[in-house]
Amino acid sequence: MHADLSRFRLKLDIMTLARFMPMHLLLDADGCALSFGPTLAQVLQGDAKLGARFEDMFEVRAPGGAVTIDDVLARAGNRFRIAPRNGLVSGLRGHGQRLPGDGRILLNMTFIDLIAATRSLALSDSDFAASELVREVLFLAEANASVTSELRGLNLRLEGARVAAVEEAMTDPLTGLRNRRAFDLVLERLCAARANFGLMHLDLDYFKAVNDTLGHAAGDFVLENVGRILRDQLRTEDCAARIGGDEFVMIVAGRSDPRSMMTIANRIIAKIREPMMFEGQVAQVSASIGIVRSLNCKDSNASHMIAAADRALYAAKHAGRGLAILHD
Amino acid sequence: MQVRLAAEPLTGSGMDALLLRSLQTYVLGTFGSAKWQEVCSLADHPSQMFEPMLHYSPGLADRVGDIVSRVLGRPVEAIWEDVGTYLVTNPDRDGIRRLLRFGGVSFSDFLHSLEELPARAKLALPDLDPPEVLLDEVGPDRFELRCRSHIRGIQRVVMGVVTAMADDYGALCLIDTGADDCITIAVLDSRHATAKAFDLAMPEV
Repeated sequence: MHADLSRFRLKLDIMTLARFMPMHLLLDADGCALSFGPTLAQVLQGDAKLGARFEDMFEVRAPGGAVTIDDVLARAGNRFRIAPRNGLVSGLRGHGQRLPGDGRILLNMTFIDLIAATRSLALSDSDFAASELVREVLFLAEANASVTSELRGLNLRLEGARVAAVEEAMTDPLTGLRNRRAFDLVLERLCAARANFGLMHLDLDYFKAVNDTLGHAAGDFVLENVGRILRDQLRTEDCAARIGGDEFVMIVAGRSDPRSMMTIANRIIAKIREPMMFEGQVAQVSASIGIVRSLNCKDSNASHMIAAADRALYAAKHAGRGLAILHD
Repeated sequence: MQVRLAAEPLTGSGMDALLLRSLQTYVLGTFGSAKWQEVCSLADHPSQMFEPMLHYSPGLADRVGDIVSRVLGRPVEAIWEDVGTYLVTNPDRDGIRRLLRFGGVSFSDFLHSLEELPARAKLALPDLDPPEVLLDEVGPDRFELRCRSHIRGIQRVVMGVVTAMADDYGALCLIDTGADDCITIAVLDSRHATAKAFDLAMPEV
């Protein structure tokens, strides 16, 4: 196609060179600057002086050990990685070679971190050759950033939904207390950790009578009230759960001396015995509580503790209701 | 408990998801949450939230679009066109305007870049099902734009986007619907007004 490539010469004026290679550097045979592409001049700023030496403007990163442009061309064939000494951009990648004839050296470069360079130098379209993939790269970077941010948002929303679902799966919807499943998990964990805690098993007295005479809505009202009382009487680190129709359990975390256990239980019973007004009618219930302490259960086994609390509750019911009994 | 999955991760359409999310943002931002709740309840979509990164059943965007049209009492074509305009002009969503501006330095550059946009979008979201976009330069400064997609509303969304982008580039154009529902664009003056500012560098967050 081309008759004789070795004899083919192309003459370019400096304006055309600047348009096609806005990041070029033309050096004379000794490595002193003859011309700068306009974008490279923006990078070098005050360092872009005619006659400036290559090694005064740039630090060579690769090929390793090279300092002057002669070293670069000799060591790396024609590819190099350099950093402007003024530190305005982190690095430039390029290639270069001696031109036939007078030995001048033509280098052409591009930004290694295009995104940072467009920002720090406020570059625009006209600073790049039309053939460069600048818009494509920046498009991808921004598209990628927005996809990542959408995914982060999605993850946060899913995590929020997961937490809410877990919370819901652990909650008794009527009273807002924990449910059986949540209580079992807490008890298992405390037993496995051989923690010091008190376990109370509470059963309402005369609840069936309220249900039978005032209806189920009144019964639900009583249960909601009991839920509120238990929340009020316990600390956040404790756990109160409704595990059956009118059956509740409480875990008092971190302490189990008999006196505090009895005080807490009696306070709860006193609150529950206060008459509750439902649609103008008095609903009155009471509560019996059986208490066990983790210190008294040698093997600290969840099912043994529940059975022991159950026996204490049975004893409280048997002893005349409205009582708390501590099983030792 | 029966769990109903609104999103369809494997068989669904990512393009439906993007349009549904855009529709959601547009209705919420322009008409308020009461209207959007009404739409979602008619659409049987209790979460009231469309996730742009999930996939939804193909055609769902058109079904929800029809419901929005009923609720707002406006033709569905006008609604999709507004969604397109809203995507570009809403200042909270400057990202889309910026992504489109990377298409070219002038409005006609931008028009030509629309044919490349589906491929570019797939670079960022490989499992997206973007429309096929065809641009014909039918005369000097006269173009015909066609979109092929399983989503009816897309053509109008693109029309809204192109209209808003003409404004962004400061170009004066006649944009209309032509034969076989293509979009006809006549650029009357490409430098009618000053283009909105566009820096190549992403604004720092």
